[in-house]
Amino acid sequence: MNKSNLQRSAFQDSIKEAHQFIASRWNKRPRYGVILGTGSGEIADHIVAQEKIPYPDVPHLPESTAIGHKGQFVCGTLADQPVIAMQGRFHLYEGYPVDQSSLPVHIMAAMGVTDLFITNAAGGCQPHWNVGDVMMIHSHVDFMYRSTARMNSKTVHNRPLRRSDLYDRPRIEQAMSHARGEGFQLYRGNYASMLGPNYETRAEYRFLRKIGADAVGMSTVPEVAVAATYGMRIMAMSIITNVANPDQLVETSGHGVVDAGVVAAPKLRSLVENAINNDV
Amino acid sequence: MLDLFDKIQESVEFIKSKWDGVPKAGIILGTGLGPLVQQIDVAVAINYEDIPNFPVSTAPSHQGRLVCGTLNGTPIVAMQGRMHMYEGYPLKEVTLPVRIMKALGAKTLMVSNACGGLNPNYACGDIMLIDDQINLMGDNPLIGINDDRLGVRFPDMSQPYCPKLIDSALTIARKEDIVAHKGVFVAVSGPNLETRAEYRFLRTIGCDVVGMSTVPEVIVAVHEEMNVVGFSVVTDMCLPDALKAADENEIIEIAKSAEPKLTKLIMGLLGQMA
Repeated sequence: MNKSNLQRSAFQDSIKEAHQFIASRWNKRPRYGVILGTGSGEIADHIVAQEKIPYPDVPHLPESTAIGHKGQFVCGTLADQPVIAMQGRFHLYEGYPVDQSSLPVHIMAAMGVTDLFITNAAGGCQPHWNVGDVMMIHSHVDFMYRSTARMNSKTVHNRPLRRSDLYDRPRIEQAMSHARGEGFQLYRGNYASMLGPNYETRAEYRFLRKIGADAVGMSTVPEVAVAATYGMRIMAMSIITNVANPDQLVETSGHGVVDAGVVAAPKLRSLVENAINNDV
Repeated sequence: MLDLFDKIQESVEFIKSKWDGVPKAGIILGTGLGPLVQQIDVAVAINYEDIPNFPVSTAPSHQGRLVCGTLNGTPIVAMQGRMHMYEGYPLKEVTLPVRIMKALGAKTLMVSNACGGLNPNYACGDIMLIDDQINLMGDNPLIGINDDRLGVRFPDMSQPYCPKLIDSALTIARKEDIVAHKGVFVAVSGPNLETRAEYRFLRTIGCDVVGMSTVPEVIVAVHEEMNVVGFSVVTDMCLPDALKAADENEIIEIAKSAEPKLTKLIMGLLGQMA
């Protein structure tokens, strides 16, 4: 067996072992998966939890080190549907290899998840946006320089990456309509993913806005890349935790990011529950 | 995982056994800018390979010595030659000297580089005070579990370079009749120089000069809460519609001829700190 086959086999084994461990604690086949980002952890409180599994208990998963992250799988029901949620995620800036950081998405796929909801905290590149606004991601620009495509396209399974419609269009339209009905502001836009962990400089914000980014963050794209190879329907949302106005930039801190997430969490929950309740 | 802190202590202990001064500033001298050390009242010069955990510089014209002493009356520690990402060093190693400087007592980092000029209003030999930076290296020295003893998890980068030091340097430049600009530095990994299309791209996204260093060191200096001032010496004008092949020897020559100007600016700033 050559080296790449060995790596493939080892990675598939780790997916299998992690999946088997979770199945031994919670034996359901959820259609829905949720990844809860920085500051939106409270959305998990609305999941009727049947089982909570801390990441360090799961074989092959590292411990999450980011602030505002609890670091556990929450298994249960949301809007009466079985769901597995990640409370806390693995960021590339924490130093994990890209395949290990997106291992939970592989596990979700193995459990039967076909519809993935992703949330993150992001800096807004549009000066007219407000802290606590939510943006539906309709496309992304990847500045992480850490491709998951090589591994996934050949070595895990053989589905092509669908780049044209990574983010499910009917779900975006449904969410925009729902937000209008509920009376809260919802934007749609492009998400730029950066390695981090430092926040962007003024020059970097100007650059990102110029190339068409509406929000910038340090996550999501690797997870989306993996989920897409399984053909999952993806709905991803950014909480705008600071609005970058490079000509009058104020400091950004991790704790402010967590506060803004608290304001936006009810909107996210409403959007996700609506998507589950009213399948399009 | 968190072995950086102990490594820094080990290196600092070694340097302190050779030199008992407490530097106010750490200086990093880029390509062709090493001669500034002739102005230093040298207490001790230590080869990089003798310092525990210190990476070794392999780039052309980079001497690889840590020079400790006083410059214009102010105790400083200067790196004659730096490490680059393109030499194959992980950014954590490239930036270790900055952490060592801070641990020795330096609250200010003065960093210099030779760069390509993208702004058509600049000319070869001009100096640019770095006002802001863009990281296009595809890597970051802070990746990994954060050691809270060294700095915060998510450093703010709204003002990586100290505006007061920039203004002071520009004032000195006017007084000395030195052409000095203020602009945006972008770092790429290198080692190849950029294509014409890449120069157009970098100019379009708002960059005034481009180089292969400085950004990782400044990210770490911000992580360490140091005051930073950055000097880019334009050694090559990169105008994509009139581009000629870059000559490494020419670049080093231009850097050397611009070096006295840089020396005046750095000595002027240090004089104000003394």
